[in-house]
Parts: sequence; C-alpha cells; structure tokens
Amino acid sequence: MQLSMTLSRRLRMTLTYTLLIVWTVICLFPIYWLVITSIKQPIAVFQGPKYFPWVDFKPTLDAWKFLLTGPTSRQVIRSWTNSAILAIGSAALAVALGALAGYGLTRFRYRVPGLGWRNDNIAFWIISQRMLPPVVVILPFMIMYRFLGLIDTRHGMILAYTVFNLPFAVWILRDFFAGLPIDLEESALIDGASRLQAFRKIVLPLSTPGLVATFLFCMMFSWNDYLFALMLTFSRSSTLPMFIAGEGTQSYGPQWWYLSALSLLAVAPMVIVALLVERYITRGLVVGAIK
Amino acid sequence: MSPQAAHPVTERSKHFFLTPTAVLILVLSIFPLLFSLVLSFVSWDLSRLEGGIRFYGLNNFITLAKDTRFWHTARVTLTFVIGAVALQYCIGLGIAMLLNQEIRLRRFFRVVFLIPMMLTPAAVGYVGRMLFNESMGPINDIIKHLGLPAVRWVSSIPMALPSLILVDTWEWTPFMMIVLLAGLQSLPPEVFESARVDGASSLQIFRHITFPMLLPVSLTVVLIRGLEAFKLFDIVVVMTGGGPGTATETVTMYAYLVAMKNGNLGYASAIAYALLIMVTIITLFFLNSLRRRAAAAE
Repeated sequence: MQLSMTLSRRLRMTLTYTLLIVWTVICLFPIYWLVITSIKQPIAVFQGPKYFPWVDFKPTLDAWKFLLTGPTSRQVIRSWTNSAILAIGSAALAVALGALAGYGLTRFRYRVPGLGWRNDNIAFWIISQRMLPPVVVILPFMIMYRFLGLIDTRHGMILAYTVFNLPFAVWILRDFFAGLPIDLEESALIDGASRLQAFRKIVLPLSTPGLVATFLFCMMFSWNDYLFALMLTFSRSSTLPMFIAGEGTQSYGPQWWYLSALSLLAVAPMVIVALLVERYITRGLVVGAIK
Repeated sequence: MSPQAAHPVTERSKHFFLTPTAVLILVLSIFPLLFSLVLSFVSWDLSRLEGGIRFYGLNNFITLAKDTRFWHTARVTLTFVIGAVALQYCIGLGIAMLLNQEIRLRRFFRVVFLIPMMLTPAAVGYVGRMLFNESMGPINDIIKHLGLPAVRWVSSIPMALPSLILVDTWEWTPFMMIVLLAGLQSLPPEVFESARVDGASSLQIFRHITFPMLLPVSLTVVLIRGLEAFKLFDIVVVMTGGGPGTATETVTMYAYLVAMKNGNLGYASAIAYALLIMVTIITLFFLNSLRRRAAAAE
C-alpha cells in the first residue's frame, strides 16, 4: 500500500515535470528561433531549417549591423523612439487620471442626474469601453484627427492611447484603493489635511505596487498596438509594430534575418520588463480579471 | 464584485477626481461611438472628404445582409474565437493545475510561461509565419523527422485558420493560466482533503469539486479572452494577410479594407457596428449566466 502510494506519487511528479518542461520549450522555442535567425546568413535561411549556430551554420552579425547602421536605420530608430515615447507618455497619463477616478469612485458617492447611476454603474460604464472592438471607434477617430490636425502627431497618439488604456487603469486602481485601510487618511483629514493632500501624501505612496502594475500594463498595450497606429499615423509618429508589419508584407518577400532582428528589438523591452516585475504583472492580471 | 468604500462621504472636491476621466471618455469614446453609428447611415466616399457625404438610410445594412464576404468574415472570426478560446482554456487550466502542486522551480516556470503574452502581436505573427513556413520553417521539419507527411500550413485554405489559432494560443494561454492558477489557489483546501479522505479519485475531485468551484473564474476569463479574440487583426495581417484568398479574413480586417482601400466610410462603419452587436449579444449572454451562477451560489 505504502509502496504503491509513493510509486504513484513519483509517477505523477515525473509526468508533471515532463509536461512543464515541454511547455517551457514551446514557450521559448519561437524566441530562440528569432535569435538564431537574426544571426543567420541568407543562405542558411533558404537551405531549410538550421537549428544550432556554429554546428549547423556559421553565425554572422550582418542583419544586426544592417538594422542599426544600414539605410533603414534612421527609420528603425525613429519608430522605436516613437513607440517608447507613446507608450510611456500614455501610460503615465492613464495612470494619473485612472488613479484620480479610481480614488474618487471608492471614497465618494456619485450620482449621475437623469440616469440615476451610482458609483457601480459609472465604474461599469467605464470598463465597458474597454470591451468595445476598437474598429468601431477608429474611423471616427481618424476623421476627427484629420480635422483637428492631430493625425500623425505624437501628442495625438498619446491622447488616443490614454483613452484606450484609461478604462483598464480605473478598473484596477479602483480595486486597489478599495483594499487600502481608510483610517490613515481619515486621521490626516481630521488633522486638517485637504483631500488632495491626503491622496498625494498617504494614498499614493501606499499604492505603489498597484500604480506600477497599472503603468506596466498600459505601457504594454500601447507598445504592442497596431490598429491605432495603422489608422492614425503614416510617417512621423509611426511605431515599431507598423514598421514590422510593413517590412513583413513587402512584395519581394520578407528578409527573414533582418525581420528577426527587428522583431527582437520590438519584443525585448517588454520581455525585460516581464522578467523584472513578474509579481506585479501577475497581481494586476488577476485583479483585472477576477474582481 | 464591486468594492464599496467604508465611509463614502460627500464632498465638494469629489468632482475633481472623477470629472477628467468622465469627460475624456465621453468626448473620445462615446462621441466616436455615436459618430460611427451616424456614419453607418450615410454614404461617404473618403476620396472626397468634403461634399462626398449623403444620407443613405438603411442601405448600408441592406447591403451588409446580402454581402457574402461579410458573412464569410463573421464566420471566420467566430470560428477563430471559439477555437482559440477553447484551446487556450484547456491548456491554461491544465498548466494551472500542474503548477498548483508542491513543485520545485515554480517561480521559474511561472515567469517563463508569462513571456509569450508580453510580445508585440505584429512580431508574433511574423514568428508564426516563419515557424509554419513549409520549406524553411522548423515545424514541418520536425514533423518530417517524426515520419509524418508535411503539412501545408498558412498557404492552404483548410490549415491557415488553425495555424492562426495555434499562434494565438501560444501568445494568450499565459493569461488563462495565471488567472486560473490564482482561482485554484483561492479554493478552500479543506474541501479537497475531506473528499480525499472519503476516497474520491482525482478525476472525481476534478469533475465534482474543482471544476464547478472554478466555474465563475472560468467564465470570466473565457469572456475576457473572447472579447479580445473578436478584435483579431494584427496577427492575421502579418501572418496570412487574410489569405489564402479570403480564408482568414476577419471582420475587423474587412472593415479596414472597405474603409481604407475602397474609401467607403459609411459601409465600413456598418460592418464595424455589426461586429459590435455580435460582441454585445455574446457579452450579455455571458454576464447573464455569470449573474445566475452567482445568485445560485448564494
């Protein structure tokens, strides 16, 4: 009895680790493939799949050199910079506005005259904006942006991404603020602090994890977006996903080695962020989905 | 479901907190939504931004109802959503249950499993195109080494959509996994212990305890992923370009083509609204069943 128990437990653990390792390989293989393709010469790509540098093929940094110093390098660097500016700018704005709204929704009572809405209705109205398929609002956006002269501008794109991210930011931060103990704020208010002072000096410092998680999410959404950039930009403010999609659909066929290096340039920042702050991301995801 | 403040007070400064967000969403989200509805009732040729606009009544929607290409894209989108979400849920739940045991390197596995969902979809679509390539890609090469016949992935009509589903599953299973893992960890351990003492098998525990108790979380993640999957656009553009032919063309992509290639803003808006209606019906259905479950639980 005892023996069969340990045996079946051992069998189960072997199976568990096998499956986990298989999934690890599945998760990492595409990234490995990007890395090795970016150091292949064209001939090593066209001869069929080659798996190991120095064994199967001779690695070269040609694609990287071309990417960073070749004739398209200025466009690459500009797209990358645009992506970074738009992602950071819109995430900062979404977190700032989302924190204010999230705080308001957990500390005050609102009523929308006419509709009879209360806090919960307002919060649901805000998050429901995130559920919309973006294609529904993107055409009016494009027309509005043309008339307002915001098309293909960085501030226009920051604004668009802020609106796109705001519902999510409000949703997560509202939940976060609701979980904070309220006594500290109240004693500060009794001691004569204003509401805004209490918010800035007490609530915000206590909420750093929530703010960081929200910021990272908003940054990731903007960095990875393709549809908004495609419709609202064409040259000066276009982003890295635009550049990748444009290069990948060239009529002369994709330059695999070059595109691999380019893709790595696009995915690297977010992977680094994920590795550094996995804890925050997990928490933000879980809060955003379950609550 | 909704956090309530311990002491919600009425103060004059309260408007300072909520107004900026409310105004921004009204102006840049609700207004475009209405604008788009108006657009779906007009005929507007993009090549003539001024003066090209005239009232068109229900004609856009009548055209839509007869447009076989639209119904084709709707079917593609729906097939994609159902296939991708089902696959992601099954794999995500499986991995979450593997990780919900006493295992070594749990943190390592969790971090690695998170990576795919952080990646730019445009780049992911491109990776998919490379991996599924029939002559240069490693997937067919591995299949051949296993002694199986090569598969024509993105270049054949029956396999192009499944290829997209596989790539999307690679990218988004992490989301399911993380939320379901948190859901599993929040279940009370006593229930499982007493079931085990009563001699229930692992399969029985899963069927009669784990799965039913996890159902609210399951429905939520399926809804969230489903809503996201309906927006499918970037991976398709890069991986198949909607092809071969229109085999993988999604509704969003069709609306984009009608707006930008044909310059027909009115009809494109009607297509977009049809998608919105589809998504809304499914969402309401889901929220309803969530609410009924919640009520039944109480």
